[in-house]
Amino acid sequence: MLLVKDSMTREVVALPPQSTAGEALALCRERRIRHLPVLADDRLVGIVSARDLRSATPALGDPSRAEALGRILVHEVMAREVATAHPDDPIEEAANAMRERKIGCLPVIEDDALVGIVTSSDVMEALVYLMGAHEPGNRLEVVMPDRPGTLAGVAGIFGELGINIVSVVAGPRRSLPGSSQPGRIAVFRADTIDLREAVDILERAGYAVLWPPGP
Amino acid sequence: MSGRAAVVHDLALEAYGFGGEHPFNPLRIRLTLELCEALGLLENYPFIVSEPATDENLTTVHSLTYVRQAQKAGRGGGDLLDLMQYGLGTGDNPIFPGMHDATARVVGAVLESCRRVMRGDASHAMCVSGGLHHALRSRASGFCVYNDAGVAIARLKEEYPSIRVAYLDTDAHHGDGVQWMFYDDPDVLTVSMHESGRYLFPGTGGVEERGRDGGVGYSVNVPLEPYTDDRSWISCFEAVVPEVLRAFEPDLILSQNGCDGHALDPLTHLSATTGLYEYIPRRVHDLAHELCEGRWVATGGGGYDIWRVVPRAWTALWATVSHQELPDKIPEAWLALRGAQSPAELPRLMRDDPADYHLAERAAEIASRNRRTTEQVLEKVLPLIR
Repeated sequence: MLLVKDSMTREVVALPPQSTAGEALALCRERRIRHLPVLADDRLVGIVSARDLRSATPALGDPSRAEALGRILVHEVMAREVATAHPDDPIEEAANAMRERKIGCLPVIEDDALVGIVTSSDVMEALVYLMGAHEPGNRLEVVMPDRPGTLAGVAGIFGELGINIVSVVAGPRRSLPGSSQPGRIAVFRADTIDLREAVDILERAGYAVLWPPGP
Repeated sequence: MSGRAAVVHDLALEAYGFGGEHPFNPLRIRLTLELCEALGLLENYPFIVSEPATDENLTTVHSLTYVRQAQKAGRGGGDLLDLMQYGLGTGDNPIFPGMHDATARVVGAVLESCRRVMRGDASHAMCVSGGLHHALRSRASGFCVYNDAGVAIARLKEEYPSIRVAYLDTDAHHGDGVQWMFYDDPDVLTVSMHESGRYLFPGTGGVEERGRDGGVGYSVNVPLEPYTDDRSWISCFEAVVPEVLRAFEPDLILSQNGCDGHALDPLTHLSATTGLYEYIPRRVHDLAHELCEGRWVATGGGGYDIWRVVPRAWTALWATVSHQELPDKIPEAWLALRGAQSPAELPRLMRDDPADYHLAERAAEIASRNRRTTEQVLEKVLPLIR
């Protein structure tokens, strides 16, 4: 689930470099997409976004627009330096690459062939699955002391109570409330309608429960 | 006010419960009906007994493999690791003897309530054991083994092919199970008002969940802020429910009347009082008369302060269903019968005094957030309902 190949779209809408800006924009509109890989002889030579196309052509209502849409070619507008991903890359790596470069998608290349495309929407979907946000559960945020065994301690409490953990993400550092002791935040999604006992035991065991918040 | 009311109940329905210290305790059903009786509200209303739902009924919305697992579990069989794949034998849904039979009876009772109303034998019906809205197709969830409303609606759709059912869920928890069962169905409108899933199980029920495919617009969710009080709750109800029901034009309203949004409820963070649980049934009653010749079936649902809240809230429900006045005082006889067992002192009046429930400091902010939520809901779903 959490590799690029699990989240990417396999049927990629691409076009050749000699296509016109008008054709490319029409394709974006019809398929409701924002990015088009550009292929020459089945090899990726660039990528063009609806935004690039729009900024390269006169605005709607401009009398010269129709002429420009037919004259400007995709290879004149496209980006040639394309960041790509491999199907076996972890999804978080692809997400980080998009974040670093402030881009919205990565064509996925395997053995020089374009096999898919992964977009920020796919990363969102992976995040929803990762956090279990589509499954029944109760969200719980806990600060754990930053040392071995504390995550197991929380999980063990759930286990004792017969509560299944739908997802757990242990994340950024943060000190324990009211102390300088280093901690880490973990976000759990626990499959229970009744968190009372778990919260009570966690608090007595020295964990700080940040969520659900108090009044 | 017209037509006859029916209360569907028998002792066998009180076998649905998880035992021990589990918060879902069938004693709340007993307490409710005892209070109704002590107030004289059951005098002309003998309990109507129903048949358990058959496997054929259950499999309208549940998978046969799941039903078989629940049957096995109820007979003390099955492998715990297998059963847990189906949500059975967890902390929330522990296995209890006869769990299949007990739940099938609850489903059967709600189905019978719906059939009576559809046949015209009763104009309104109530079954307080119903309301197991979290049960999923192949999984027990949140104290719910089978989904009574899901089965009843699916069955009615077979018996009355053109029927349009409005399911209205005002439990503090999102009515996820029923929503997912009819997520792509434009003939079943599900409306759920609940504490936001950010803070409460099952975590779903955001405004954006509004149906799939042909059913887009027919799942309506109003997630409320924690500590929402009667006033804001009621204004959200009024902003959304009458309009979406009128746009939909149902043939039957099936309401889930969980009362766990009460300020005293131990499992949730809402701040309602009995005022809300008197208000909602009255409005649903009026909407049923306005839109579908009064056809209304009311079920119970969540409610975990079983002494101070549930009996009063569901007695108020029954008073509306049966067109009777809700008295002011709790009868001494009931207090004498049950007072000593209650861990907390029992109220003496049927209605909470709002002065006993001080408003949250952020009441105005909570109300304004809720108001924004209702505006979003109306903008996103109302144009799609037809």
